[in-house]
Amino acid sequence: MKFDFNTAALLAILFWATGSLLTLIALKVPALKLPARLLTIAGTVVVFCFITSYWILLDRPPLRTLGETRLWYAALIPLVGFLVEYRWKIGWLKFALMAFAGFFLVINMLHPEVFDKTLMPALQSPWFIPHVVVYLVGYVLLFASSVMAWYNVSLQLWHNKNDRAESVSHYLALLGFVLLSFGLIFGALWAKEAWGHYWTWDPKETWAFLTWLAYLGYLHAWRYKIDRAKLQWYLALSFVVLLVCWFGVNYLPSAANSVHTYSQS
Amino acid sequence: MVNLPRRLFQPPWEFRESSLFTAVAVIAGFIMQYAASGRGVPQTHLPYNALFLALFAVTVISAGVAFRDRSFAKWLGGIPLGLCLIFAIALLSLIGGVVPQTAVEAGSLPAMLGLNQIFSSWPFALTILLFLGNLGLSLSWRLVPFKLQNLQFILFHAGFWIALSCGIFGAPDLQRLVMKVDEGRESNLGYSMESEAPLQLPFSVFLHHFSLEEYPPQLFLFDPQSGQPLEELSKATTLVKKGVKASWKGVDVEVLDFIPYALEGKNGIPEAADRTAGIAFAKVRITSKAAPVEGWISTGSPMLKPYALPCGKLILLMTQGSPKAFLSEVTVHNQEGLSTKATLEVNHPITFAGWKLYQMGYDKNAGRWSQYSIIEVIHDPWLPAVYLGFFMIMAGNLLFFWNGIKQKEVKS
Ligand code: HEM
Repeated sequence: MKFDFNTAALLAILFWATGSLLTLIALKVPALKLPARLLTIAGTVVVFCFITSYWILLDRPPLRTLGETRLWYAALIPLVGFLVEYRWKIGWLKFALMAFAGFFLVINMLHPEVFDKTLMPALQSPWFIPHVVVYLVGYVLLFASSVMAWYNVSLQLWHNKNDRAESVSHYLALLGFVLLSFGLIFGALWAKEAWGHYWTWDPKETWAFLTWLAYLGYLHAWRYKIDRAKLQWYLALSFVVLLVCWFGVNYLPSAANSVHTYSQS
Repeated sequence: MVNLPRRLFQPPWEFRESSLFTAVAVIAGFIMQYAASGRGVPQTHLPYNALFLALFAVTVISAGVAFRDRSFAKWLGGIPLGLCLIFAIALLSLIGGVVPQTAVEAGSLPAMLGLNQIFSSWPFALTILLFLGNLGLSLSWRLVPFKLQNLQFILFHAGFWIALSCGIFGAPDLQRLVMKVDEGRESNLGYSMESEAPLQLPFSVFLHHFSLEEYPPQLFLFDPQSGQPLEELSKATTLVKKGVKASWKGVDVEVLDFIPYALEGKNGIPEAADRTAGIAFAKVRITSKAAPVEGWISTGSPMLKPYALPCGKLILLMTQGSPKAFLSEVTVHNQEGLSTKATLEVNHPITFAGWKLYQMGYDKNAGRWSQYSIIEVIHDPWLPAVYLGFFMIMAGNLLFFWNGIKQKEVKS
């Protein structure tokens, strides 16, 4: 198969957009509900197919560069929207998440990467895929949690409140925390095998630890029955720490010493 | 009923008292660091650090059990103080995550306050100790009496207690040394970051053979004027093999023939050679606005100069592939007569008499022809304890996940 990212990305965005549009029309015309759902799912399937073909083409898992992780993000993030709709019957989140996924694909179209088939020996490890994938899924859940929290915060500004929406942001944060914990420990176990020590306070590790602490703090504050409406602010802002960890580390003065920064090329 | 706001230090203590206490602890830590002229916490080694840690654990747990009804103890082991300490650890780690943790001029303010070695500084150590005390107290109340429903809590909190305390108390016992072993020779000398003089290791390593496997070579169209390679139309760097094609703006290259290991023959035509001597040769055809050019290019080696082909103002080069795997065949043995023959590879360390041996590096300039191997050797007697903590946290995590996905609504 010929490698063509732009076609796949445009196709996925087209599916998500028409699917979303049909979902809105389906409010009036229920018969369109099924095609609408199939179209939104097809968008995600397209991205997964692309990742698979890209994997085969590269002959290594496409998890090495920042652009490659954005690809996974685009594939996974709408799934959380579908999950929330399925379990908590909150439908609007998936639109927001599909829009973000589309945004990630557009970034990748604007910044095509020079791809490189080689994978340095330290990354050739059975830990590589679980570690990165667990982290990606964790980030996706926490991202969705923060979108939900921003929604709750804005409701509060209008003196409104939605208990179910508050429990959604909480549970997404909880699941995200579980995955961050696994990611952190998998990373430590892998580092021991590849670099000799499980923890070296490398900048990337330090920021991952900070992110984990932020959500650990959230869970305990929540247990302590601090006003849960106020904690929505906390969740909404915690994501900033996570973003620094994910993108920002490359730009910090301490980054020059990091072994884990995603390569830029 | 009138609800008067609680005054500072009026029981039950909560967040204000906790933040005050935490702030005092962190500031006291910085003052101690300054008073010690930037020297960090003194290092204690086995068995003293283990004794101290065991004593500390027993004290915290028994104090927790003995004073479980006192409101002061409840505060010391409570979530508000825990949150403030987590915040303090986060803040100190933030310093470590922003300020480069490298040596700076002695006597400068960052050095005096330990900002450039925050994780072995007094404020960090004090905060961690208080954190362990706080966590230990909360743990003592769930450990005694033991109830199965507290299992998730115990796995998380005890797991973290063990991993953190053993990781930090055990740090001085961690030995990380680097060995350089020449092919066909033996060495028992390890070099550390701290001192120039090597250390005698309790074992020696004989290097039978070092070998390196590379990805195929890469093609580059190089612009001598800008000093930069041009980007291919496909956005990929082409890996060379027979039949492969690569295109740049206005230039097409086809690889007509490829010999991974060859030496130059009599009339400039390469002939296949064995792997130790040979280098990669490729016969390419360049098509551009000018007449097509055909010729051989090669990657070169420490002994042989590379061949390139001109293409107008540009030059077509073939560079050595990046390393895919490198390994050392070694025999490790010690005075007690223990001996193992093994292959060391990145991500595949071996264990020998309490030491772990890692393939670390080689002579980068010589690449495949490196005459030596660099091996890192690590001794960490506290590792099993830290891993025990990790596995407890992961077990707690699984329970937490399971209980988490079962519920839908938040119970208030
Ligand atoms: C600063 C010290 C800490 C204190 C005082 C503390 C205390 C507590 C308390 C009292 C609870 C409520 C348990 C319940 O209601 O059943 C709790 C929950 C929890 N703790 Fe901690 N904890 C501390 C640190 C940690 C650490 C380091 C971890 C992670 C390894 C952790 C992970 C958890 C988790 C996952 C929960 C469950 C939260 C939930 O049910 O929503 N805690 N902690």
